Amino acid sequence: MNMHRAAENHLKTRRDFLSWSSAGLGGVALTALLMQDGQVQAAPLPPEAADPWPHHAAPAKRAIHICLCGGLSQVDSFDYKPVLEKYQGKKFGGIESADVFFGQIGLLRKSDWAFRQRGQSGLWVSDLFPHLAKVADELTVIKSMYAETSNHTPATFQQNTGFRLNGFPTTGAWLSYGMGAETDELPAFVVIPDARGLPAGGSINWSNGFLSATHQGVVIRSKGDPIDDLFPAVKISATTEQASRVLLETLNRKHLAARSGNDALAARIKSYQLAAKMQLAVPEVASIADETESMQKLYGLDQDQTHDFGRSCLLARRLLEKGVRFVQLFSGGAFGSPRINWDAHENMVQNHGREAGRIDQPLAALLTDLRQRGMLDDTLVLFTSEFGRTPFTQSASDVLGAGRDHNQNGFSVWLAGAGLKPGMAYGATDEIGWKAVEKRVHWHDFHATVLQQLGIDHTRLTAYHNGIQRRLTNVHGEVLSEIIR
Amino acid sequence: MRYSMRRTDSRFLFGCLFWSIAWTGVWLGAGPSAGAAETSNEDARFFNESVAPLLARRCLGCHNATEKEGGLDLSEQTAAAAGGDSGPALVGQDLGESNVWQRVSDDEMPPKHPLPQDEKEILKRWILSGAVWGDQRIDPFRWSTADRAGYDWWSLQPLQHAATPAPDKASEETLRWARNPIDHFIIRKLQHRGLAPSPEVDRRTLIRRLSFDLLGLPPTYEDVEQFAADRSPQAYERLVDRLLASPRYGERWARHWLDVVRFGESQGFERDQIRPNAWRYRDWVIQAFNHDLPYDAFARRQLAGDVLQPNDADAITATGFLVAGPYDSVGQMQQSVAMRAVVRQDELEDIVGAVGQTFLGLTVNCARCHDHKFDPILQKEYYQLTAALGGVRHGERPLMTPPMREQIAKLEQRRAELQNRIANLEQPVLAALRREHETDERGSGSTSAPRPFARWDFNNDLQDSIGKLHASARGAAKTENGRLILDGKTAFVVTPPIEKPLPSKTLEAWVQLAYLEQSGGGVLSVQSLDGQMFDAIVYAERQSRIWTVGSDGFRRTKDLQAASNEDLADRQLVHIAIVYHADGRIECYRNGRPYGAAYKSNGPAGFQPGGAQIVFGLRHGTVAGGNRMLAGQIDRAQVYDRALSAEEVAASFAASPFILPSNITARLSASQRTQRDNWRAAIVSHDQQIARLRNRKAYAVTPRAPETTHVLLRGNPASLGDVVSANGISSLGAEHSDFQLPADAPDAARRRELAAWIASPHNPLFARVMANRIWHYHFGVGIVDTPNDFGFNGGRPSHPELLDFLANRLIANDWSLKCLQRLIVTSAAYRQQTGGRPLALKRDAQNRLLWRREPHRMEAETLRDAMLAVAGMLNQQLGGPPYQDFKTSTFNSQFYEMIDPVGPAFHRRTIYRTWVRSGRSTLLDAFDCPDPSTMTPNRAVTTTPVQSLSLLNNAFVLRMAAAAATRVKAGAAEDAAAQVVAVFRLAYQRRPDEAELRAAAPFVEQHGLPAFCRIVFNSNEFLFID
Repeated sequence: MNMHRAAENHLKTRRDFLSWSSAGLGGVALTALLMQDGQVQAAPLPPEAADPWPHHAAPAKRAIHICLCGGLSQVDSFDYKPVLEKYQGKKFGGIESADVFFGQIGLLRKSDWAFRQRGQSGLWVSDLFPHLAKVADELTVIKSMYAETSNHTPATFQQNTGFRLNGFPTTGAWLSYGMGAETDELPAFVVIPDARGLPAGGSINWSNGFLSATHQGVVIRSKGDPIDDLFPAVKISATTEQASRVLLETLNRKHLAARSGNDALAARIKSYQLAAKMQLAVPEVASIADETESMQKLYGLDQDQTHDFGRSCLLARRLLEKGVRFVQLFSGGAFGSPRINWDAHENMVQNHGREAGRIDQPLAALLTDLRQRGMLDDTLVLFTSEFGRTPFTQSASDVLGAGRDHNQNGFSVWLAGAGLKPGMAYGATDEIGWKAVEKRVHWHDFHATVLQQLGIDHTRLTAYHNGIQRRLTNVHGEVLSEIIR
Repeated sequence: MRYSMRRTDSRFLFGCLFWSIAWTGVWLGAGPSAGAAETSNEDARFFNESVAPLLARRCLGCHNATEKEGGLDLSEQTAAAAGGDSGPALVGQDLGESNVWQRVSDDEMPPKHPLPQDEKEILKRWILSGAVWGDQRIDPFRWSTADRAGYDWWSLQPLQHAATPAPDKASEETLRWARNPIDHFIIRKLQHRGLAPSPEVDRRTLIRRLSFDLLGLPPTYEDVEQFAADRSPQAYERLVDRLLASPRYGERWARHWLDVVRFGESQGFERDQIRPNAWRYRDWVIQAFNHDLPYDAFARRQLAGDVLQPNDADAITATGFLVAGPYDSVGQMQQSVAMRAVVRQDELEDIVGAVGQTFLGLTVNCARCHDHKFDPILQKEYYQLTAALGGVRHGERPLMTPPMREQIAKLEQRRAELQNRIANLEQPVLAALRREHETDERGSGSTSAPRPFARWDFNNDLQDSIGKLHASARGAAKTENGRLILDGKTAFVVTPPIEKPLPSKTLEAWVQLAYLEQSGGGVLSVQSLDGQMFDAIVYAERQSRIWTVGSDGFRRTKDLQAASNEDLADRQLVHIAIVYHADGRIECYRNGRPYGAAYKSNGPAGFQPGGAQIVFGLRHGTVAGGNRMLAGQIDRAQVYDRALSAEEVAASFAASPFILPSNITARLSASQRTQRDNWRAAIVSHDQQIARLRNRKAYAVTPRAPETTHVLLRGNPASLGDVVSANGISSLGAEHSDFQLPADAPDAARRRELAAWIASPHNPLFARVMANRIWHYHFGVGIVDTPNDFGFNGGRPSHPELLDFLANRLIANDWSLKCLQRLIVTSAAYRQQTGGRPLALKRDAQNRLLWRREPHRMEAETLRDAMLAVAGMLNQQLGGPPYQDFKTSTFNSQFYEMIDPVGPAFHRRTIYRTWVRSGRSTLLDAFDCPDPSTMTPNRAVTTTPVQSLSLLNNAFVLRMAAAAATRVKAGAAEDAAAQVVAVFRLAYQRRPDEAELRAAAPFVEQHGLPAFCRIVFNSNEFLFID
């Protein structure tokens, strides 16, 4: 649950093991060995899909997904509904029969944060995200999203896999499968969970589904060993590690000689060389201390509130820079008490205020940083939650409550970067922000558009599974050409 | 009875003639249809034989009754005659007026794929001769086309009894090579391609191959030596029999089956709670393989074991198959009825999909929203199957047999006698104490117990003995011996509205639970009249075995910190009180003492005078259901319109209507106490025995009366189509697919018929699919390389006659899997060498024709098991509850943190790990262990750097390397060379050669034996099986 604690336990377990020999980490020796062979050059990690990528010329080479757990309120963030101010505390005709998750339809509630037009574009962003507001000209907001369910986890599955059920590959797994990565030194699909805990369902959220396990998201921790099994669980000296590698290669070569032309055997020999490269590259990329103080400050590492997410954003940028194809960052953990995600049933101000405070500055920093490095031109930034929240409160029918229920009918997400039209809003909900009514966008359309920007025809990214050529977009999906440059 | 009928449908006769070439995509024309109205008419015959197949194959994909491209439907005579948007389609004897001909002759239609000349001629001749129809309707599924499978699809045809082929130009060599009929099928195909099979492999390799294949474990070095030295011609056959009889065989082959059936031991979705009794199904599968349960019975029990053998705990356990997939507990509980219906349909899709793919190799689930796009399965038939499975629900099912039931009844009777004896013994003392107590209460001021505004002591039915809140019973609620009895299902009790606002209040109750493992039931609740807002004493809603301060949406609820687990309330009354202060503070008490930490809530709830009521037995709401119901008894309950102090709660508890046990004991004589202690001890022992019998549960089907099944238009639960009853799929044989059940048939009848229809020798897919699965696991690739899909999108059989031969053998040997496997592993095809030959590699690089043996990389489980075996650490305990290689914690969802636990209990075979859906192991995943939520008929085999890192560095691997080293040293191998020899024997089952010794021995001297064992575990020779 708690990543930090998990890492500490992990280390503690390690100390309990018998030590084999004197100190020294294996990775160092392996790297030395590779240096001698001149093999430390990074090479691309090839895709597995048969249809060669890219399917068409496209600006985006990689993507980062900020995944908000619990449901961000659109009417308090990106979907300005001035009429709610007028209707504050009133009933709204036509929604008495609304079929909401907890079955309680209270009175309409206006945004708890003031909305303003921002930047040159004049995009509406509320004071919930004051830092993001400053980079509003980078954002492409979709205000007319709708989902198929208002149940968190199936909705989250659909957001990430296109399907409401367990067992389907997540977007990151699809991209790893379809695109490979720019580097073979790092996994193609990396996950950074919220420092407070994993999302509900844990690793199900970055599953490979029916794709091979290679494409599963790899969790990178911000403390302890960044990824599982990167280094030996017990200490092994550098000389032993080096001699072991030589012996392993000797045994494997001899074995191969009697079975010439076997690709699988040869591939395994090579995979040990790649493993050594990863041992070098992962700690390097995870070393946030290498960033300048001003950079760390930009991401908010110096403040308690923004420290966790700032660290995650900075780590994500370093991963993208090194050629990781897809980084998924979670804002929010599982559902429970006390709340550690965006599921503001009880109190909007407390909940969204706290959650936005954790991510606002780091996210703005990420966009600024990517822009400064020229990376925003070929990096796609996605900011979504599984659904939105109701414009009325979750309370008895004659009560103006403080919290809002789940809303699958209309909500907002934004994208930024690679080839999108920046500073624009697409689609619209009705006058109170309850239902998407204009240019309605389903997750399939969203996914199709994301793939399009990454050079993938969503109808061609397929994998055969039990009777059907499966796609991220099922048999649907329309590219939103109006938001693309 | 119906299943013994012979097929007479001409479709199958037609299929018999052509099925073996149908899959090549060549269309050869159709035989006469028995359903044709006027086959005597020459024109009609021409239509049925030549025109209808052409239209079906070339036109009906778009111009059918549902899609009607351009307004044209060519599937039916009148519709076709009506023409389309651009006018008449077919005008007899007039090519110019017939739009169909115009478009076809211009090569405009079919789009991009103009008709070949001979087909144009057929069309032309038909129109010129009057465009006469034979059958009035063309069944679009009747013929396979370039885009989809029809009824004539190869896998839907009856099994063929092909004679074992004799090799065409049988050289002496190949004849000598062949060992059983399988080999003749293999040779024939090879000879057609000018290839020869590979010779038999050496004995050391052979026993290693067979041992990993049948047992998933390496042979011992001694076994290898013995087999290599055995000159008997029957040595190999004896080895096969010995391994097939090993209990390790079931553990190996059950794992394959668990892959197919998406076996997971947690709920998945949001909460992913563990399923503590799911392992019983896993054990059932292991035992089924070990006992060679005939495959038809194996299938029937998994579909309907509880119905077919209701008194057999094993048969009930077998239905774990149907519910092995994920379960959306949150989705099932949500308020929205419409969304709950979607969740239920998703669940049924999972179940129908699993049944179809597992036993039929058909992706029936693809017909949920529309007719199957590729296979002849109607949408209606999908819903017929959901109807057949409509009574299936997930749950923990008690495994109760009549003898167990009798035993429980006897125990309960004896327990009641013991309780009576105790009651009789205590009665005089109790009566005296009650008298004193009542005197106290009447004499004002003589007791410090506070006075409530309402009290229910259930002595006078449901009357409020202080105020006017006289309650009324709902469902099975009743009073008995001064207690309110709640069954946890339908029973609850409500009062009229309370006229007070209750800004502060205290709820208290003396309650006993029917059992401790319940969750969420309400004891005493104040709720708004619509049940939406409530404050309640709730048992274990959020924390297992811990009382919950219940409230709507947990608004005023917090987990009670440091509250102890309830361990008494199933045996005696406990006193629970919750105090609500006007400022939102909440305190909870149990037996007069603070329970958990007090806290500040967002309260108080704003109950309106006249707008709230008291409810017993139901957490909140107006109807019974869900997890809100309490199973237990309430002796007394009281409500106060103010917040009691801790002292007052303690006083109320002390002044309990039920007398404190210590007060009774004080007045008993020593001998009475001894007597009572003995009886009590006997009661505890009885309770334990009863609990053991009662708690025997399996995660299995817990059937409910099926709801009416409708076809759902576009799969939408809100768009109801026709009502359907349970039935099969007619393309598998129309006369067998009709279950002849009414739409409201009970669950038992539905699943009984379903099981009979599926597990039948008349079902062409049932035996084929399983024979292919078995072959797939022995050779790494099936004769059909998509074992879950024998439809249009699946692979075509590399050796169709062999597949039918194997399927027939399976049936003929009373569905014995072991017989089939014996046949397969004793074939020469199985025993071939792995070496590549240039010509063969060029002609058949994929080895689909089996000219050699493909080396196999161990599966993840085999790898872990093999390391345990080599290290001498394998705990061979067969069956039982799983080990957990994780630490688990609950934060609404259950989380699993992977660890490497040490000790024999964790050194069992990998099949015995707890296969939770979100608790995936880095090591096992690196070696392609599948997501337990997805049906995996064939595993991927990948090679990645993460995999190499795992095998080099994982704590378990290093621990096993160290253990293997210790084992070798304990075996008295002292010098490095001897140690190397010993490790080679354990891991590779051979001695090292000189070069290997020269490389390894100095390494051991310098870096130690554990480091060497680590490298051996990482070596390809260990990981790959030739």
